[in-house]
Amino acid sequence: MDFYQGKVLRIDLSAGTSAVEPLNMEWAEKYIGGKGLLLRYMWEEVPPKIDPWSPESPVILMTGPFAGTGVSTASRLVVGCKSPATGILNDSYVGGSFAPEMKFAGYDAIIIKGESPEPVVVTIKDDVVQFVPAMPKYWGLKTSAIEEAMRQDFDAEAKTLSIGPGGENELVWACLSTDQYHKAGRGGHGALFGRKKLKAIAVRGTGSVTVGDAKAFLADMYRIHTEFVLTEDNLWANEEGTPVLGQIMSDAGVIPTRNWSSGSFDGMEGINSDAFIKIRTKNRACYQCAIGCRQFHEVDGIAGEGPEYETIAICGANCGIGDITALSKFNQECDELGLDTISSGAVVALAMDLTEKGVKDFGLRFGEAEGYLKAPELISKREGIGAELALGTRALAAKYGHPELAMEVKNLELPGYDPRGSFGMSLGYATSDRGGCHMRCYPIADEIVGGTLPPDTLEGKAQKVIWGNPAEGMIGENFSSVKFSGIWCDFWAITPEQIAQIFKHAWKREFSEDEVFQIGERVWNLGRLFNLREGVEPDDIPQKLYAAEGAHTTGASAGRSIGTATFKAALQEFYQLRGWDENGVPSEAKLAELGVDVRL
Amino acid sequence: MPHVMISSKKCTGCHMCELACSAYHEGAYRPSVARLFSECNPTTAAIKGHTCLQLGCAKCQEACPNDAILTKEITVKVKGEFAGKEKVGDTVRGYVLVVDEDACTNCGECYDVCPTGVIHEHPTREVAYKCDLCDGEPQCIAFCQNPHVLAVDLKVDKKDKELAQA
Repeated sequence: MDFYQGKVLRIDLSAGTSAVEPLNMEWAEKYIGGKGLLLRYMWEEVPPKIDPWSPESPVILMTGPFAGTGVSTASRLVVGCKSPATGILNDSYVGGSFAPEMKFAGYDAIIIKGESPEPVVVTIKDDVVQFVPAMPKYWGLKTSAIEEAMRQDFDAEAKTLSIGPGGENELVWACLSTDQYHKAGRGGHGALFGRKKLKAIAVRGTGSVTVGDAKAFLADMYRIHTEFVLTEDNLWANEEGTPVLGQIMSDAGVIPTRNWSSGSFDGMEGINSDAFIKIRTKNRACYQCAIGCRQFHEVDGIAGEGPEYETIAICGANCGIGDITALSKFNQECDELGLDTISSGAVVALAMDLTEKGVKDFGLRFGEAEGYLKAPELISKREGIGAELALGTRALAAKYGHPELAMEVKNLELPGYDPRGSFGMSLGYATSDRGGCHMRCYPIADEIVGGTLPPDTLEGKAQKVIWGNPAEGMIGENFSSVKFSGIWCDFWAITPEQIAQIFKHAWKREFSEDEVFQIGERVWNLGRLFNLREGVEPDDIPQKLYAAEGAHTTGASAGRSIGTATFKAALQEFYQLRGWDENGVPSEAKLAELGVDVRL
Repeated sequence: MPHVMISSKKCTGCHMCELACSAYHEGAYRPSVARLFSECNPTTAAIKGHTCLQLGCAKCQEACPNDAILTKEITVKVKGEFAGKEKVGDTVRGYVLVVDEDACTNCGECYDVCPTGVIHEHPTREVAYKCDLCDGEPQCIAFCQNPHVLAVDLKVDKKDKELAQA
């Protein structure tokens, strides 16, 4: 079989056994791989309404058909689960080299169920799967140490997907790490690994991925890479990377500052791209990627990667931290402990806010680095103030009687774009299928970076959130769903036409741009059905982000508010355009039109 | 003598050279059988390239008890596109070390002496395999996709240049 390996590995941690079964190729044809195929498997494998913490609630690792084939940026892995934070679907993407190694070992997907009686590491060398006790040597290790241990003890070329102390302590924003700095960051897959007592999966594959005529395929990909990847549209990520967004977002009134109390940060020059370039050392690439956006730095003699924009925003400006050294150390701590930086920064910023408002003294204040730098470790161990911060923003704010200070959607902390500076993001956050997330659609591209759409109106935005603005490079929910089924990285501004050219190799037939979009819409509707089945909260965002009384008084977006009625109307417009009813339930006609093969 | 080198400073660790190598020699993407590899430490981002130095090393040839590592004359042409620009390559004449599969007994003597770890037993044929410069068009160089500089390149020494002029 070309592109796919046609095999799924099932791991039962309760029994300590594994089994191989064929990949469902009917589903693959409909849903491609990555996000789409993951959601189709989740529909089947997640028992309806199950408690995400229960042993039978799976964590699924899914590759795309192009992992291991040299298609630029398509080496990503998606990890899926019913999130212990949100109770709905969570698909989290990670680069590095784990997904190609999984393919070379012979698997398109790995489905992990059960709960190990004792902490365990699973090693996979081609068709040999072993369960290795994680006590006393591996449990407790930080992410760099567990990876090094796997290279020493298992295979020098092992690629490892692991949790750090955060996951071991079942923190709901614990992530999965691979190649140390790469994180399947959001939604708490690390917490479920911790509950399942699974410290790490290490994989080594020596087999091949076939693509038909390998030389011809390679030559065509080289043409596509030269024409469409190594261009100005993408190489900004190599040359400057996401830190470049910091100053732009602050100037536009979009960067969350001091727990979302402003959209412009007065200390931005300390953490903007100019500040980052001073500590930057070199670039690295994920497997098979031509762009090479991974920016390494060195502070106080310690090498690390990042911080990327979301971390700069939420752990920098949002915590009032205007010092690139402190920010980089916080980032490194989170990487080593296996914590999502967005949720970590958000909860620290909330604790700073509660302290400064005199509600509860956590010893944390905006802009003060000392307590800030100790927070990640305390959170990961649930010690000291960390025991309370580990509740997450929603529960912590509620506990102290200030739910309005928690900036989350569906209990997933919001990333680094304040909708008061970019109105389109309000709909993006509200309708995101995994809660507070900026990766499903990106109105910022037009409203702020490109300047092709006005940022201070919701008019026409529901349409953009769904279909994007392909001519200007803005990604919408339908297109991101097919792009993440490939699985292409966000940093290749690939077009539907280019996706069609690559799909043609895999399925030996022509694809129209409309069909590419339709696959995405099919995937998005499947995700909606999953969320409705599991019980999703109403689509909404924190009220102050749209209510008149929530408008900023400082910064470039001061005085702007969407207006409650306007926001609610835009949400209804969104449902209508999607062919969903007023509660966001897809109509039978829409599901039939898209060929979605499941029903509530 | 012409040989391929991976620059540890320029390489981003994308492994495209290994994929191209295996596509050419094995007809599939199989980096574990690539004739060169880029060893990347994810934590420090340090990279070490492993390539065959051909006659500049020749330890495999010295160690072979069956004279199965042959010295073969070759003309190498660096060819390909690079970040949208055509790669202007030298044509270099020189020598390459190739495995005579009829003479090779897979005894393993060469595997133990190779200082860069790039000669191994083939996974499906019971013989050694190594870099043969792709009959003069090294695929690893042609498909190096570093956006700024060639990270996998052909190195030549004075003798090669003299030969090329002759």
